[in-house]
Amino acid sequence: MPEPRLISSYLDVLAAQLPASIVEELADGLTETHRSYLRQGLAPDLAARAAVAEFGEPEMIVAGFARVNPARRAARRLLGVGPVVGACWLAALVTSRAWAVPLPARMLAGLTLAAVIALLATSALGTHYRLAARTGAAGFLGVIALDASLIVGVAFAGAPLTWVLALAMAASAARLCYAARALRPALAG
Amino acid sequence: MRAEALKGHLDAMLLAALEGGPQHGYAVIEALRQSTGGRLDLPTGTIYPALRRLEQAGLIAGTWSVVGGRRRREYQLTPAGDQALSGRRADWRDFSAMVTAALEGGPCPNPA
Repeated sequence: MPEPRLISSYLDVLAAQLPASIVEELADGLTETHRSYLRQGLAPDLAARAAVAEFGEPEMIVAGFARVNPARRAARRLLGVGPVVGACWLAALVTSRAWAVPLPARMLAGLTLAAVIALLATSALGTHYRLAARTGAAGFLGVIALDASLIVGVAFAGAPLTWVLALAMAASAARLCYAARALRPALAG
Repeated sequence: MRAEALKGHLDAMLLAALEGGPQHGYAVIEALRQSTGGRLDLPTGTIYPALRRLEQAGLIAGTWSVVGGRRRREYQLTPAGDQALSGRRADWRDFSAMVTAALEGGPCPNPA
Protein backbone atom coordinates (compact mmCIF):
# COMPACT_ATOMS: atom_id res chain seq x y z
CA MET A 1 0.00 0.00 0.00
CA PRO A 2 1.45 3.42 -0.93
CA GLU A 3 2.27 5.72 1.97
CA PRO A 4 -0.15 8.68 2.20
CA ARG A 5 1.47 12.01 1.39
CA LEU A 6 0.77 13.37 4.87
CA ILE A 7 2.78 10.55 6.46
CA SER A 8 5.70 10.90 4.03
CA SER A 9 5.78 14.69 4.61
CA TYR A 10 5.75 14.13 8.37
CA LEU A 11 8.64 11.67 8.10
CA ASP A 12 10.53 14.10 5.82
CA VAL A 13 10.39 16.74 8.57
CA LEU A 14 11.82 14.23 11.05
CA ALA A 15 14.45 12.96 8.58
CA ALA A 16 15.76 16.51 8.14
CA GLN A 17 16.68 16.63 11.83
CA LEU A 18 17.23 13.08 13.08
CA PRO A 19 19.54 10.17 12.12
CA ALA A 20 18.23 7.61 9.63
CA SER A 21 18.03 4.78 12.19
CA ILE A 22 15.73 6.82 14.45
CA VAL A 23 13.55 7.87 11.50
CA GLU A 24 13.25 4.20 10.42
CA GLU A 25 11.97 3.28 13.86
CA LEU A 26 9.51 6.18 13.87
CA ALA A 27 8.36 5.28 10.33
CA ASP A 28 7.57 1.74 11.47
CA GLY A 29 5.59 3.05 14.44
CA LEU A 30 3.73 5.59 12.32
CA THR A 31 2.86 2.93 9.72
CA GLU A 32 1.51 0.68 12.48
CA THR A 33 -0.53 3.58 13.89
CA HIS A 34 -1.93 4.32 10.43
CA ARG A 35 -2.84 0.67 9.90
CA SER A 36 -4.63 0.49 13.22
CA TYR A 37 -6.87 3.41 12.11
CA LEU A 38 -7.46 1.72 8.75
CA ARG A 39 -8.55 -1.42 10.61
CA GLN A 40 -11.02 0.72 12.54
CA GLY A 41 -12.61 1.63 9.20
CA LEU A 42 -11.21 5.12 8.51
CA ALA A 43 -10.44 6.17 4.92
CA PRO A 44 -6.67 6.23 4.14
CA ASP A 45 -6.34 10.03 4.30
CA LEU A 46 -8.37 10.33 7.48
CA ALA A 47 -6.40 7.44 9.00
CA ALA A 48 -3.15 9.24 8.08
CA ARG A 49 -4.39 12.44 9.70
CA ALA A 50 -5.38 10.57 12.85
CA ALA A 51 -2.04 8.71 12.95
CA VAL A 52 -0.01 11.91 12.61
CA ALA A 53 -2.12 13.63 15.28
CA GLU A 54 -1.65 10.66 17.63
CA PHE A 55 2.11 10.66 17.06
CA GLY A 56 2.47 14.30 18.15
CA GLU A 57 4.22 17.40 16.85
CA PRO A 58 7.53 16.62 15.06
CA GLU A 59 9.26 19.39 17.08
CA MET A 60 8.30 17.64 20.31
CA ILE A 61 9.70 14.32 19.07
CA VAL A 62 12.92 15.96 17.84
CA ALA A 63 13.33 17.73 21.20
CA GLY A 64 12.79 14.40 22.99
CA PHE A 65 15.55 12.74 21.00
CA ALA A 66 17.83 15.76 21.44
CA ARG A 67 17.58 15.26 25.21
CA VAL A 68 18.76 11.64 24.93
CA ASN A 69 21.43 12.36 22.30
CA PRO A 70 24.48 10.34 23.44
CA ALA A 71 26.84 13.03 22.06
CA ARG A 72 25.18 15.67 24.23
CA ARG A 73 25.48 13.51 27.33
CA ALA A 74 29.14 12.69 26.62
CA ALA A 75 29.91 16.39 26.01
CA ARG A 76 28.38 17.26 29.40
CA ARG A 77 30.48 14.63 31.14
CA LEU A 78 33.67 15.79 29.43
CA LEU A 79 32.93 19.39 30.42
CA GLY A 80 32.34 18.18 33.97
CA VAL A 81 35.63 16.30 34.28
CA GLY A 82 37.62 18.97 32.40
CA PRO A 83 38.50 21.09 35.47
CA VAL A 84 39.59 17.96 37.38
CA VAL A 85 41.94 16.82 34.61
CA GLY A 86 43.14 20.42 34.18
CA ALA A 87 43.90 20.71 37.90
CA CYS A 88 45.89 17.44 37.75
CA TRP A 89 48.01 18.81 34.90
CA LEU A 90 48.48 22.17 36.58
CA ALA A 91 49.74 20.43 39.71
CA ALA A 92 51.97 18.16 37.61
CA LEU A 93 53.48 21.06 35.65
CA VAL A 94 54.10 23.10 38.80
CA THR A 95 55.70 20.24 40.74
CA SER A 96 57.83 19.03 37.82
CA ARG A 97 58.77 22.60 36.82
CA ALA A 98 57.79 21.84 33.23
CA TRP A 99 56.86 25.43 32.43
CA ALA A 100 59.70 25.73 29.92
CA VAL A 101 57.41 24.80 27.03
CA PRO A 102 57.95 27.17 24.05
CA LEU A 103 55.45 30.04 23.85
CA PRO A 104 53.96 29.05 20.43
CA ALA A 105 53.24 25.54 21.77
CA ARG A 106 51.57 26.98 24.85
CA MET A 107 49.49 29.35 22.72
CA LEU A 108 48.47 26.52 20.37
CA ALA A 109 47.45 24.36 23.33
CA GLY A 110 45.47 27.23 24.84
CA LEU A 111 43.63 27.99 21.60
CA THR A 112 42.87 24.30 21.03
CA LEU A 113 41.55 24.00 24.57
CA ALA A 114 39.30 27.05 24.10
CA ALA A 115 37.97 25.65 20.81
CA VAL A 116 37.33 22.23 22.39
CA ILE A 117 35.44 23.81 25.30
CA ALA A 118 33.33 25.88 22.87
CA LEU A 119 32.51 22.80 20.76
CA LEU A 120 31.62 20.67 23.79
CA ALA A 121 29.49 23.46 25.26
CA THR A 122 27.62 23.85 21.95
CA SER A 123 26.95 20.11 21.93
CA ALA A 124 26.01 19.95 25.62
CA LEU A 125 23.50 22.78 25.35
CA GLY A 126 22.25 22.00 21.84
CA THR A 127 18.61 21.25 21.15
CA HIS A 128 19.30 20.40 17.50
CA TYR A 129 20.19 16.70 17.30
CA ARG A 130 22.55 16.83 14.31
CA LEU A 131 24.33 20.01 15.42
CA ALA A 132 24.86 18.53 18.89
CA ALA A 133 26.23 15.33 17.34
CA ARG A 134 28.59 17.14 14.94
CA THR A 135 29.94 19.68 17.40
CA GLY A 136 30.24 16.85 19.93
CA ALA A 137 32.24 14.72 17.48
CA ALA A 138 34.58 17.67 16.73
CA GLY A 139 34.96 18.32 20.46
CA PHE A 140 35.74 14.64 21.17
CA LEU A 141 38.42 14.70 18.45
CA GLY A 142 39.86 17.82 20.07
CA VAL A 143 39.94 16.12 23.49
CA ILE A 144 41.69 13.09 21.97
CA ALA A 145 44.26 15.35 20.25
CA LEU A 146 44.87 17.39 23.41
CA ASP A 147 45.24 14.43 25.75
CA ALA A 148 47.39 12.46 23.28
CA SER A 149 49.66 15.53 22.84
CA LEU A 150 50.01 15.96 26.60
CA ILE A 151 50.86 12.30 27.22
CA VAL A 152 53.28 12.02 24.26
CA GLY A 153 54.78 15.45 24.98
CA VAL A 154 55.59 14.54 28.59
CA ALA A 155 56.98 11.17 27.53
CA PHE A 156 59.32 12.81 25.00
CA ALA A 157 60.31 15.66 27.30
CA GLY A 158 61.85 13.14 29.67
CA ALA A 159 60.48 14.88 32.76
CA PRO A 160 60.98 12.89 35.99
CA LEU A 161 57.91 10.76 36.64
CA THR A 162 56.36 11.94 39.89
CA TRP A 163 53.12 10.55 41.29
CA VAL A 164 51.38 13.84 40.43
CA LEU A 165 52.52 13.56 36.81
CA ALA A 166 51.49 9.90 36.69
CA LEU A 167 48.07 10.87 38.04
CA ALA A 168 47.67 13.59 35.39
CA MET A 169 48.71 11.19 32.63
CA ALA A 170 46.28 8.55 33.90
CA ALA A 171 43.45 11.12 34.04
CA SER A 172 44.21 12.20 30.46
CA ALA A 173 44.39 8.57 29.28
CA ALA A 174 41.00 7.80 30.87
CA ARG A 175 39.46 10.93 29.31
CA LEU A 176 40.99 10.08 25.94
CA CYS A 177 39.43 6.57 26.07
CA TYR A 178 36.04 8.00 27.00
CA ALA A 179 36.15 10.58 24.17
CA ALA A 180 37.20 7.87 21.69
CA ARG A 181 34.27 5.69 22.78
CA ALA A 182 31.84 8.60 22.46
CA LEU A 183 33.12 9.50 18.99
CA ARG A 184 31.52 6.62 17.04
CA PRO A 185 27.88 7.21 18.02
CA ALA A 186 28.40 10.95 17.56
CA LEU A 187 29.70 10.42 14.02
CA ALA A 188 26.70 8.17 13.28
CA GLY A 189 24.34 10.99 14.32
CA MET B 1 -3.84 10.92 32.04
CA ARG B 2 -1.59 13.68 30.67
CA ALA B 3 2.16 13.48 30.09
CA GLU B 4 3.01 15.94 32.91
CA ALA B 5 1.16 13.78 35.46
CA LEU B 6 3.29 10.82 34.40
CA LYS B 7 6.62 12.52 35.04
CA GLY B 8 8.84 10.17 36.98
CA HIS B 9 6.57 7.18 36.38
CA LEU B 10 6.79 6.71 32.62
CA ASP B 11 10.05 4.75 32.79
CA ALA B 12 8.58 2.22 35.22
CA MET B 13 5.45 1.90 33.07
CA LEU B 14 7.55 1.25 29.97
CA LEU B 15 9.58 -1.38 31.83
CA ALA B 16 6.34 -3.03 32.98
CA ALA B 17 5.00 -3.03 29.40
CA LEU B 18 8.11 -4.94 28.32
CA GLU B 19 7.91 -7.48 31.13
CA GLY B 20 5.93 -9.95 29.01
CA GLY B 21 8.58 -10.13 26.29
CA PRO B 22 10.14 -8.14 23.45
CA GLN B 23 7.96 -5.42 21.90
CA HIS B 24 8.39 -2.66 19.31
CA GLY B 25 7.54 0.96 20.12
CA TYR B 26 3.97 0.96 18.87
CA ALA B 27 3.20 -2.33 20.64
CA VAL B 28 4.57 -0.82 23.87
CA ILE B 29 2.19 2.14 23.74
CA GLU B 30 -0.71 -0.15 22.83
CA ALA B 31 0.12 -2.37 25.81
CA LEU B 32 0.17 0.73 28.06
CA ARG B 33 -3.18 1.90 26.69
CA GLN B 34 -4.70 -1.53 27.31
CA SER B 35 -3.28 -1.88 30.80
CA THR B 36 -4.54 1.60 31.75
CA GLY B 37 -7.99 1.05 30.23
CA GLY B 38 -7.35 3.69 27.56
CA ARG B 39 -6.76 6.45 30.14
CA LEU B 40 -3.19 7.05 29.01
CA ASP B 41 -3.16 10.11 26.74
CA LEU B 42 0.41 10.34 25.59
CA PRO B 43 1.58 11.29 22.06
CA THR B 44 2.93 8.04 20.59
CA GLY B 45 6.06 9.78 19.31
CA THR B 46 7.22 10.64 22.83
CA ILE B 47 7.59 6.95 23.71
CA TYR B 48 10.52 6.46 21.35
CA PRO B 49 13.00 8.90 22.98
CA ALA B 50 12.01 7.40 26.37
CA LEU B 51 12.82 3.91 25.07
CA ARG B 52 16.22 5.14 23.83
CA ARG B 53 16.90 6.67 27.25
CA LEU B 54 16.13 3.35 28.97
CA GLU B 55 18.35 1.58 26.46
CA GLN B 56 21.23 3.97 27.17
CA ALA B 57 20.74 3.30 30.88
CA GLY B 58 21.12 -0.44 30.19
CA LEU B 59 17.61 -1.25 31.42
CA ILE B 60 16.37 -2.48 28.04
CA ALA B 61 18.15 -3.76 24.93
CA GLY B 62 17.08 -2.97 21.37
CA THR B 63 17.50 -5.20 18.33
CA TRP B 64 16.58 -4.67 14.68
CA SER B 65 14.51 -7.07 12.61
CA VAL B 66 12.74 -6.83 9.25
CA VAL B 67 8.94 -7.12 9.23
CA GLY B 68 6.93 -6.70 6.04
CA GLY B 69 9.94 -5.14 4.30
CA ARG B 70 10.32 -2.52 7.05
CA ARG B 71 13.08 -2.36 9.61
CA ARG B 72 11.67 -2.67 13.11
CA ARG B 73 13.35 -2.08 16.44
CA GLU B 74 12.25 -4.30 19.28
CA TYR B 75 13.13 -3.85 22.92
CA GLN B 76 13.39 -6.30 25.77
CA LEU B 77 14.18 -6.01 29.45
CA THR B 78 17.76 -6.62 30.53
CA PRO B 79 18.50 -8.25 33.92
CA ALA B 80 19.22 -4.72 35.22
CA GLY B 81 15.86 -3.57 33.86
CA ASP B 82 14.10 -6.49 35.52
CA GLN B 83 15.72 -5.56 38.83
CA ALA B 84 14.89 -1.86 38.35
CA LEU B 85 11.24 -2.74 37.68
CA SER B 86 11.01 -4.75 40.90
CA GLY B 87 12.50 -1.83 42.82
CA ARG B 88 10.16 0.70 41.19
CA ARG B 89 7.15 -1.50 42.02
CA ALA B 90 8.13 -1.75 45.66
CA ASP B 91 8.76 2.02 45.83
CA TRP B 92 5.39 2.73 44.21
CA ARG B 93 3.51 0.48 46.64
CA ASP B 94 5.11 2.25 49.62
CA PHE B 95 4.55 5.70 48.12
CA SER B 96 0.92 5.11 47.11
CA ALA B 97 0.10 3.54 50.51
CA MET B 98 1.60 6.57 52.25
CA VAL B 99 -0.26 9.12 50.08
CA THR B 100 -3.54 7.16 50.36
CA ALA B 101 -3.20 7.08 54.14
CA ALA B 102 -2.50 10.83 54.22
CA LEU B 103 -5.37 11.76 51.90
CA GLU B 104 -8.03 9.35 53.07
CA GLY B 105 -7.04 8.74 56.66
CA GLY B 106 -6.39 5.42 58.31
CA PRO B 107 -3.17 3.74 59.24
CA CYS B 108 -0.19 3.78 56.94
CA PRO B 109 1.07 0.22 56.44
CA ASN B 110 4.68 -0.39 57.41
CA PRO B 111 7.02 -0.74 54.43
CA ALA B 112 7.92 -4.34 53.61
